[in-house]
Amino acid sequence: MAHAEHAHHITPFRTLLGVFLGLVFLTILTVTTSRLDLGVLDVPVALAIALGKAALVVVFFMALKWDNRVNGVVLALGVLFVSIFLVFTLFDTAFRGDTSNVDEVTIKDAEAELAAPAGDADHGESAPAADH
Amino acid sequence: MSTAKAAHPKLQHHFVSMEQQFDASKFGMWLFLVTEILLFSGMFVAYTVYRVWHPEVFEALSTALDWRLGGVNTLVLLASSFTVALSIHHIQNDNQRAMVINILLTILFAGVFMFIKYLEYSGKFSHGVFPGEAYAPFGDHYGHYADVPYAPQFFSIYFVMTGIHGVHVLIGMGVFAWIAIKGSQGLFSSEYYTPVELTGLYWHLVDIIWIFLFPLLYLI
Amino acid sequence: MSVATATPQATSGKTTYLNHDKSIRSWLLTLDHKRIGLLYLSTIVVVFLAAGILALLVRIELLAPGRTIVDAQTYNQFFSLHGILMVFLVIVPSVPAILGNFIMPLHIGAIDVAFPRLNLASYYIFMVGGVLVVIAMVVGQIDTGWTFYTPYSSRLGAPVIFMTLAVFIAGFSSILTGMNFIVTIHKMRAPGLTWNRLPLFVWSIYATSIVQVLATPVIGITMLLLLLEKTLGIGIFDPAMGGDPILFQHFFWFYSHPAVYIMILPAFGIISELMGVFSRQEVMGYKFVALSSVAIAFLGFLVWGHHMFVSGQSTVSSVVFSLITYLIGIPTGVKVINWVGTMYKGSVSLKTPMLYALSFLFLFTIGGLTGVMLGVLGVDVHLHDTYFVVAHFHYVMMGGTIVALIGGLYYWWPKITGKLYNETLGRIGCLLVFVGFNTTFFTQFVLGSQGMPRRYYDYAEKYADLHALSTYGSWILAVGLFVALYTFIQSLMRGAPAPANPWGGASLEWTHTTSPPSPHNFEEQPIVTHGPYDYHHFYAGDGQSVEAELASRSEA
Repeated sequence: MAHAEHAHHITPFRTLLGVFLGLVFLTILTVTTSRLDLGVLDVPVALAIALGKAALVVVFFMALKWDNRVNGVVLALGVLFVSIFLVFTLFDTAFRGDTSNVDEVTIKDAEAELAAPAGDADHGESAPAADH
Repeated sequence: MSTAKAAHPKLQHHFVSMEQQFDASKFGMWLFLVTEILLFSGMFVAYTVYRVWHPEVFEALSTALDWRLGGVNTLVLLASSFTVALSIHHIQNDNQRAMVINILLTILFAGVFMFIKYLEYSGKFSHGVFPGEAYAPFGDHYGHYADVPYAPQFFSIYFVMTGIHGVHVLIGMGVFAWIAIKGSQGLFSSEYYTPVELTGLYWHLVDIIWIFLFPLLYLI
Repeated sequence: MSVATATPQATSGKTTYLNHDKSIRSWLLTLDHKRIGLLYLSTIVVVFLAAGILALLVRIELLAPGRTIVDAQTYNQFFSLHGILMVFLVIVPSVPAILGNFIMPLHIGAIDVAFPRLNLASYYIFMVGGVLVVIAMVVGQIDTGWTFYTPYSSRLGAPVIFMTLAVFIAGFSSILTGMNFIVTIHKMRAPGLTWNRLPLFVWSIYATSIVQVLATPVIGITMLLLLLEKTLGIGIFDPAMGGDPILFQHFFWFYSHPAVYIMILPAFGIISELMGVFSRQEVMGYKFVALSSVAIAFLGFLVWGHHMFVSGQSTVSSVVFSLITYLIGIPTGVKVINWVGTMYKGSVSLKTPMLYALSFLFLFTIGGLTGVMLGVLGVDVHLHDTYFVVAHFHYVMMGGTIVALIGGLYYWWPKITGKLYNETLGRIGCLLVFVGFNTTFFTQFVLGSQGMPRRYYDYAEKYADLHALSTYGSWILAVGLFVALYTFIQSLMRGAPAPANPWGGASLEWTHTTSPPSPHNFEEQPIVTHGPYDYHHFYAGDGQSVEAELASRSEA
């Protein structure tokens, strides 16, 4: 039993130091790129660097590289469900009030209908009463 | 503790071996980390939704936060992750002293992080930048954000995200303090260092969350 | 270990988990998964009775139009509390916490769950949640419904703070139980117990636990944000402060829809066990039944927006959510077909648990199919927030989960208590529950399709007859449930001792341990050599073959 214990992977000091220096470098990089104005690229670049840093921490500091595969699967599941949460919420919030599913003519008709009585408010209100 | 006949004093009776016990604990910790990720995901979703709705507000207000303080805090937290990784490296080699030293360094870095956080918060509070309804900024740096629409949302999200992250840092510091005490009493060895390993995983996750918070809030 | 020194006190002379240490302390601080299961059972039964009485009061109020027994404000509180108690403190924890705790480790041949202390902690965290619910009830009025929709909830007073805290904390308990079970199923299985030999109950608990771990943290952060909205006014959900109330609904349903599967999946597992044992046949399509649980767990995350078709969410997301909702019908249909197929040409024995299983099959099929109807975008606009929805989810939650839970309790009762129950009484109870339930809720389908809105205190005269009928049904249902409760109590008092394997089951809890089990479950580590439904390979606990036992039972 005791022998199995020694099967744990021991990450070498040099690897850990290298990863740390890499993380410091990426931090400086993300600050620098955000100082430059990259326009639309600002957000993707910052997120890409953050993802890279997170990957370094997960793979080496958290030693997922040498770990049981099931732990990696668990993490992947978590990331997957965060993405589902985000994407499906954005399906709503990014398209809120979007009427593209309604026929364009219908919208124009509706607009025309709304616009017509606006010019003559009294008539617009009394019209339904006259109908019945 | 029900361990009379066990091979190792830390082996619980319902496990066959230390290895099974270690694997089970670590697997459980990863599951817990996933729940933490999903807990934070709620705030990231709220951030994204409001950012997609009002990108210009978020871009403008990110300059209200001091990227230098945020940057230093990022480096401090990365360093603490490094020392945690080192402490596990040392205990795996049965170097208890080096492990304890690295844990103490981690606590120190975490303390620096929280101190800088305190400076940031108090700087904002003193200018009326509060989360939520109390938001009423004044003064040089913050006054002109008073009438920016959705600025309260940005600061609310900032305070909630960094606040809950800060609570996690404090909890981590507490657990590390316990580990440092137990470690200096010689509880851990290469045979048994499960608490160090698990708390380390937790700490790295707290670090990762900050890795995302920093650019999202301070930079872009 | 205290076990070794305790003197056996049972009249039978056996040391069991029930009698090895009888002090109250040994119960309250127990790390034994079986005792923790019983702690949950006693707590949940009490909450169920309280919430059930609230439901009866709601029904009595609705017996006739206008005021019947209480005013509108009290009525609003009654249905809100009924919903909150039933959902968060009864149905979500019920099957996993009671039977999952008791049976799952036995099913996989383990001594205990992976983290016994965490298991006990889960129970007490659950209790803290329960206490907070009581505090919330005492300090003020909760009339938000169980959904806590903003902005109403974030503007209400102090009780909302306690109630959201309660949900937050009860959620923690659920997360810890889920984690514990996943690790247990992965790491603690007996030698030879491969994934293909896991009892289907374990599969369903596994799928449930995954959902618990992935979904529950989101209700945690939702409740936390609601709490901050209420206390600090952070303006994320309240439109008056520029927030978006529909975002709250996304957050809420990202948990609460998967939670529906947390509630129903373990019930599926119970039904699979019952169908196999009482048809004396291998469950048809084992792999399909097992994997359909996982498929339902996954798909359950992709459909939350079907609760929000009329909330004002974008058309795009309504369409996407509606389409994916249909997909859930597939794995669910797979299960129903396999259960029916299991009975085909089997030797079906209509014991009480099987009667509950058949009730489940009938009620759940109605509940499931009306769910597909509600998933249709156009139909939902008409039926949304009517009694049709109320009837639908009661058919699934009560007719599905609770009926399966009672069936499961009857099935495992001899194992849990070591006592047999009165079969006749059990059957009468089941019949009353079935008739009462359908009378109560089928009428509500009709009411809903005629346009009766849910949660209303008063209603038009034309609904009066059906409402009255529904209320009478609730009384029959209540009588049925009390008969079931009486059966259990009578069995505890005067039940005959149960053999190790009264049903001739082939899974480990029947074949490898006594009734009730010893403190450490098994005398020796079970080695598994075949599947959980290979009845003809196995012999019953008393040295009789399954066939012989069946024969002796048919004589009796």
